[in-house]
Amino acid sequence: MLKIFQRLWQVNWAEQWQYRANLLMYLLYWLVSPIIYLAVWTSIANAKGNVSGFTANDFVTYYMTLLIVDQITSNIVIHTFGYKIQDGTLSGELIRPIHPMLTNALVNNIAFKALTIMGLLPVWAILFFLFKPDFSHVALSGILIALPAMILGFFIGYLLSATITALAFWTTRSFSIHEFYFALILLFSGQFVPLTLMPKLVQDIAQYLPFQLLIYYPIQVILGKLSTAQIIQGYVMAGIWLVIAIALFNWVWRNGVKRFSAVGA
Amino acid sequence: MSSETILVQNLSKTYQVPEREGGFGAAVQSFFKRKYKDVKAVQQVSFKISQGEIVGFLGPNGAGKTTTLKMLSGLLHPTAGSANVLGFTPWELKQDYLRSMTLVMGQRNRLSWDIPAADSFLLNQAIYRLPDDEYKRTYKELDELLELEPLVKKPVRNLSLGERMKCEIAAGLLHRPKVLFLDEPTIGLDITGQARIREFLREYNRRTGATILLTSHYMADVTALCERIIIIHHGNLKYDGGINDLSRRIAPFKLIGVLLAESNSHNLSQYGTPVQNTEDAEKHYIQVKAEDVTQVTSRLLADMPIHDITITDPPIEDVIERAFNE
Repeated sequence: MLKIFQRLWQVNWAEQWQYRANLLMYLLYWLVSPIIYLAVWTSIANAKGNVSGFTANDFVTYYMTLLIVDQITSNIVIHTFGYKIQDGTLSGELIRPIHPMLTNALVNNIAFKALTIMGLLPVWAILFFLFKPDFSHVALSGILIALPAMILGFFIGYLLSATITALAFWTTRSFSIHEFYFALILLFSGQFVPLTLMPKLVQDIAQYLPFQLLIYYPIQVILGKLSTAQIIQGYVMAGIWLVIAIALFNWVWRNGVKRFSAVGA
Repeated sequence: MSSETILVQNLSKTYQVPEREGGFGAAVQSFFKRKYKDVKAVQQVSFKISQGEIVGFLGPNGAGKTTTLKMLSGLLHPTAGSANVLGFTPWELKQDYLRSMTLVMGQRNRLSWDIPAADSFLLNQAIYRLPDDEYKRTYKELDELLELEPLVKKPVRNLSLGERMKCEIAAGLLHRPKVLFLDEPTIGLDITGQARIREFLREYNRRTGATILLTSHYMADVTALCERIIIIHHGNLKYDGGINDLSRRIAPFKLIGVLLAESNSHNLSQYGTPVQNTEDAEKHYIQVKAEDVTQVTSRLLADMPIHDITITDPPIEDVIERAFNE
């Protein structure tokens, strides 16, 4: 099994490397909104002294941490896999004795991330010099505790996206469903603004949803904003959502494959 | 457990195809209530194939050949009926089944477009858990027959259709499958390439005792490889039997070709049905019932100023065409 993943990595890394220019474009596009939020909120905080207790430095450290956390926990499986179900190119992968979405597509996503993170680092360094954030309150222990949380977050996000992608077995509109899902992420994950600045109702709902596990929760752990009890609560939520995501994905995939019509091939 | 390698019983597949009229009104209507049309691609097809057989699977476009192959390889769930291949139900997609069969389709599907085929081969080695020495041995055999070495280091997108086909076939056979489903395996290849693939398949079948079910538009593939053919048309099984029996059962005719000494148009229609033969315009051809051949020939020789006479079976294409239209 290890050898399979090793070879999958070689192939997918080589493939992604072919598209490094596209990838850079994607990265720049993806960077635009967090950097705008960063600029807007810091200037507001600078003007008013703080926003609901958030200082300019709080915003800068939040968004700069977000840039990295989001890059680690997000995935693009809907874009790399959805079309395969619709145009039938899945055929070749479906008759290989490995799971198409839990092996090849997964490794493909990780290879993509490895490259975008490489591209992100210089941008991050430039932002660091521009905004001069004060990260002195960040402890190594916080980062170490956040690492497994980010990996969990990635797998939860990946399985949920994979579930929506697999809806393509039923409908040609799985992209639209994913757009809706992405809107939920924007609202409940803390991608727009730190969740504590959202209305109370949104915060209460977000607490039980998986989306904050992808962004807000790991950021708060890294920035040392959570108590031990809150950290444990986050991990428990992540465990529960991982089980739910696995079950959902399994069910949708198993039933979806039965409907596969292997068109065009 | 049956002793047959492939056992197909009443296999049927009906596709539901959404349909709507053109125009905005119809588009709005179809948003709320979609109309579906049932397309019966395969209907109640049954056959058995024993280990080591090479069977040609024939039918015009849209006959249901590819749909059947897709069900047998596990890609499609049938609407009704059953199939058993090597003791497995294909569409359960059991790993042990996937490791012992292959489906090669006449287009890209096993090779990654962006990287050299050699890398995809190595990936297959890992996926199918092939030990190094076994992998190298198989690769060497494939290389000898298909001349892969000059091709495998270039990205697949830069290969010609024929070159890609060779690599596809190699990728599909590296794990030495026991059952091969081949959909147009020689498509896009030149005559030499086609002959090589045929030779290779025959040799592979002889050496490994693999069972092969193949479709092809090139009749030469079928006549060279298959002793038995299965014909389907409109999803129904039309013929299952020896390729040599086909003309006797479907078209019990012979063609008599005569080259006449004088080119004036003799009336040959009294001896049999005149037929056109574009390949040989000099000769006049008539179609005669098989049992009448001896009698008609002797009459012709007696009555006509004949330079040359040939008696042949009708071309297999014509016979199959006739089988389709029955």
